[in-house]
Amino acid sequence: MTDTAAPTWHVEQGDIVERPDSPLARSRRTTELTLLVMAALITGAAYTVTALGTNAEIPPGIVFFVAILLGMLLCAHVVVRLVARGADGTLLPLAALLHGIGFVMIARLDDELAGLQATWSLVAIVAFVATLLVVQRASDLARYSWLFFFGGAFLLLLPLVPGLGVNINGARIWVSLGPVNFQPGEFAKVFLAIFFASYLAERRELIAASTWKIGPLRLPEPRYIAPIVMAWGFAVVVMVFQRDLGSSLLFFTLFVVMMWVATERVSYLLVGAVMFAAAAYFSWTQFSHVQTRVDIWLDPWADPLDRGYQILQSLYGLADGGLTGTGLGRGNPGQVPEAQNDFIFSAIGEEWGLIGASAVLMAFVLIVGAGLRIALRTDRTFEKLLAVGLTTIVGIQGFIIIGGVIKVVPLTGITLPFVSYGGSSLVANYVLLALLIRLSDSSARRLGELPDDPTPTERWKAWRLGRRLRNEQHQAAA
Amino acid sequence: MNRQIRQLALGLMACYVVLFVALNYWQVGRKQELDARFDNTRQVLREFNKPRGPIVTSDGIVAAVSFPTAPGEPYDYRREYPTGDLLADITGYFTFAFGSTQVERMYGDVLTGSTTEQQIRGLGDLLTGGTGSTGTVELAVRHDAQEAAKFLLGGRTGSITVIEPDTGAIRAMYSNPTFDPNTFVNADFDVAQQAITDLQNEPGSPLLAQAYQERYMPGSTFKVITTGIALESGIATLDTAFPDEREWVPPQTNDPIQNYNGSLCGGDLATVFARSCNIPFAKLTTLLGPEAMVAGTEAWGIGEPLPIDLPRPAASTFGNTDNLAQELPLLAIRGFGQSEVQMVPLHMAMVAGTVANGGQMMEPYAVESTFDQEGRVLDRTTPQVWKTPISPQTAEIERQLMIGVAERGTASCCIALNGGIPVAAKTGTAELGDPTNPDLSHAWILAFAPADDPQYAVSVVLTNVQSTADVAATGGRLAGPIAKGMLDFLLTGPGATG
Repeated sequence: MTDTAAPTWHVEQGDIVERPDSPLARSRRTTELTLLVMAALITGAAYTVTALGTNAEIPPGIVFFVAILLGMLLCAHVVVRLVARGADGTLLPLAALLHGIGFVMIARLDDELAGLQATWSLVAIVAFVATLLVVQRASDLARYSWLFFFGGAFLLLLPLVPGLGVNINGARIWVSLGPVNFQPGEFAKVFLAIFFASYLAERRELIAASTWKIGPLRLPEPRYIAPIVMAWGFAVVVMVFQRDLGSSLLFFTLFVVMMWVATERVSYLLVGAVMFAAAAYFSWTQFSHVQTRVDIWLDPWADPLDRGYQILQSLYGLADGGLTGTGLGRGNPGQVPEAQNDFIFSAIGEEWGLIGASAVLMAFVLIVGAGLRIALRTDRTFEKLLAVGLTTIVGIQGFIIIGGVIKVVPLTGITLPFVSYGGSSLVANYVLLALLIRLSDSSARRLGELPDDPTPTERWKAWRLGRRLRNEQHQAAA
Repeated sequence: MNRQIRQLALGLMACYVVLFVALNYWQVGRKQELDARFDNTRQVLREFNKPRGPIVTSDGIVAAVSFPTAPGEPYDYRREYPTGDLLADITGYFTFAFGSTQVERMYGDVLTGSTTEQQIRGLGDLLTGGTGSTGTVELAVRHDAQEAAKFLLGGRTGSITVIEPDTGAIRAMYSNPTFDPNTFVNADFDVAQQAITDLQNEPGSPLLAQAYQERYMPGSTFKVITTGIALESGIATLDTAFPDEREWVPPQTNDPIQNYNGSLCGGDLATVFARSCNIPFAKLTTLLGPEAMVAGTEAWGIGEPLPIDLPRPAASTFGNTDNLAQELPLLAIRGFGQSEVQMVPLHMAMVAGTVANGGQMMEPYAVESTFDQEGRVLDRTTPQVWKTPISPQTAEIERQLMIGVAERGTASCCIALNGGIPVAAKTGTAELGDPTNPDLSHAWILAFAPADDPQYAVSVVLTNVQSTADVAATGGRLAGPIAKGMLDFLLTGPGATG
């Protein structure tokens, strides 16, 4: 493998004449293509069976549907093949599978939302492609870390701006711009993960070198942890002012996990857990909506027709589904309020049964596995931490909301990545996916698994340089 | 950092293992318990949102039908009953929150196409471009006969039941008070709840099909059964004579038994049957004794829920039989249908049918056939004998006795049919013994016609009727004309077929 480690591309008169072959990259892309076609076929089959279950007819646009679906996925695949051909071949198909299952379920629940979700799916694929094209080197991101910090903070606080933010279902996490509503928090989590990875990569030794001692606790110098305290502050703001417990928990977990991995000190996990417990207890005593959530979680049957209704309907749906499910299109997932959104997992559990729901769990486990493998393989601290952060977002977000709808943890409104209805969520998660794929590709190149051929921008720069040299030669000759 | 990343991987993996375990807990471990919870509406809802086939009468009138609702409505279909209250006792109703009754309940799986046979056929149809798998239920009940019954009852409380003696097919079964399912099946929860609560609190149980779900004191119509038992046991024949008497004191008491209105009554069996004297039947019952009488009534199906193809049928009763040997006076008056005896109106039509059918009591049925969506027969009801309480010879004697009732007895005032078609009948006036209102009774008649070739057996009961100084509220006078109207309609009127 080392023989291919050295750049083997050739510049002849400023032009790249050859793109060297890499069997490993080729096999990964073949894997990806095969799995994508399978994901598309599974989605198409599920869509057909669901339509049969609901209307007893084969959907008229099924060929068109599968064609569009395959077209979108192939488009994403081709771009990966062109600009990130060394990347892990399972991430995109796993996301496509979850996305497909989610879409089938949304289409089954609400035709109108399905149309919107289809549009958002297109936007998400475009965002995926755009991210891969713009972020050609993962290290580029670190250069703009403070931009991401302020951008993330800005997005996070945007819904609190009067006239811009909207209250929906008691949470102030939406921004309304003309006809478009979106949740900037979905993007903020990616931005803040980038910032944190970069910040911690630079200062992890300084932060880890304890200077303060309070009893058994050893804390870093205050100035190094200031941004982290600010991030924690964001989490509190999100919880208190936006009433978004799920996102708040997600941010907080993200920060704590990244701190822990960066500093290699388990004390951060402990401090984080204590801080979380304190904040949770405080908000439980102070906020009625938090108390409500906890009460419902402890005993939904205390108020089965009102406050406990949603979670009970979710559990009844799951129970109705049982091991094999009621059959696609043959359950009543519409009984659960917000089934297309936070509660999409219980809709899947109802109609696809324990088997289908477990497949969704498995897909999340595989994404987490692939993401953390990227973190393990890469040799750069920033990329390691970023992969950890992005993977944690997907893994923890999935856990929080699935756990919420099956009564493992108190319910906190948050979307199920790739599956739930929602444009912001879908687009943000595809951007996240593109970043993971970029990180995977970068590490593969540095590991020498494929030649580190130049990025399109670098080629373009090389071509311009070559042209300038030629021009200069011409002028010199003239 | 790699150690932490591996630990993180383990931690996240553990999180998902917890989710998987919890999912098993809900979807498998507690499935049955959750499915059974009262506030869990999944099963009902699944049923409710399925397309549901129609219920049609045997003469082709749609009694219940579903229409798809506009998008955005809470349910996918609305159920309508085009005939209003006319067939409500037969079709029942189908609601989301308040269950379903009658044919809607018993044939729900056929109507929604959930039977295995329909599922298999539906699969084949899907491939050949079929239209779905709902089923149709065709009633044995005739819409025109039902309308005639409703008209003849004219708003009075009571019921009319018409069966075919040789098959048990119910051709009409109407009772007042009744209800219109359209008033609540598609209404909002609160409106529907109010409507149903009101109907439940209304006197006379309009939500029940009184004709087969209620039972009433039968009065002298019960003498058909007593006579049948006595003839079968051999203690009486056509020649048995009874002295003219006003009063008779049964054993174990000093209180005498009287005939209706305290009249003087006696003669041979045909005469006492036609005039409906009480004392002869009290004597026969006492002679039979408790054991033979109870066994005899059981042979007529008394004490068992009627074997109808509709839910929750009532059972007729001979009353408490534990100490009858010590209560012979009670046994004696039960012999002519008073005291604790209570009969289901449908059962009384079946009693008339038994006499008409040579002693065989057929199982009554309201549903003739079921069809799949393509119109192919799924199931057709096969007539079944339920009981054979009397021999053909006894049946023939009883037929003659009942013809006597129509020709020269208590029904002679009112039952003579158009066109001189021979008819057989037995009247009953059940005195309810209400201390505050001694004249309150149920007026009954059983009849079948043509008496020489019975096609229809009818029971009519008007409940809680009041005698006045001018008119005695007797079965013959009040119920007789209704039975005549019904039989005329079916045999020579607009309802005559063939």
